Amino acid sequence: MAARNALLKYLRVHVEAVPRYPSSTSSIFVSSINAFRRHFSTEEVMGSFLDKSEVTDRVISVVKNFQKVDPSKVTPEANFQSDLGLDSLDAVEIVMALEEEFGFEIPDNEADKINSISLAVDFIASHPQAK
Amino acid sequence: MTIAAPSPSRPEVICLFRSLLRTARKLADYNIKEYTKRRTIDAFRQNRSLSDPSSISSAFSYGKSQLEVAKKQALVYSLYSPKLKSVMEAH
Repeated sequence: MAARNALLKYLRVHVEAVPRYPSSTSSIFVSSINAFRRHFSTEEVMGSFLDKSEVTDRVISVVKNFQKVDPSKVTPEANFQSDLGLDSLDAVEIVMALEEEFGFEIPDNEADKINSISLAVDFIASHPQAK
Repeated sequence: MTIAAPSPSRPEVICLFRSLLRTARKLADYNIKEYTKRRTIDAFRQNRSLSDPSSISSAFSYGKSQLEVAKKQALVYSLYSPKLKSVMEAH
């Protein structure tokens, strides 16, 4: 989080720094680049990452709502197979439910790797499109 | 004579299962969407203990043909679906 803020601050300074060196021959070029950069930097700000504790809470509530899961067994470190007694088909269903909860699509090769709550949280918290 | 297809691997079966569920999600009508999901999950559960390679491949090819049907219906329903949503979809 701190690293991201530092990066955003850097980007913002960078955008403002451009008009300080106006060139008479390439002023149109500079302004268009500047507009592009401003657009780019607002996009960066909008594509925000979710807070990890919030993601954990939401993932846990999705898993608890899954009908085959005993809600008392759900912990942030629970493994789908060994701790919750789910098979590979259930794991696919849970990943699909997580996609619906967070409003983005998890690619198949990533979805295959998600076999525990902590892995699901790590993947979703590192994904800018999750909301 | 058709030559029996080799028995599908575990990742292939998981991939078919996921594709069917993803396609089910695209169906506009609530009842059809929920039916497709339920039917997919029930069928894979029912066939999970199959051990005979020929029955595994025939179940797999049946699943693939059903995926094509679901994809086609998702497209057709998207063209002709009513604007109204089911009351079961609270948004």
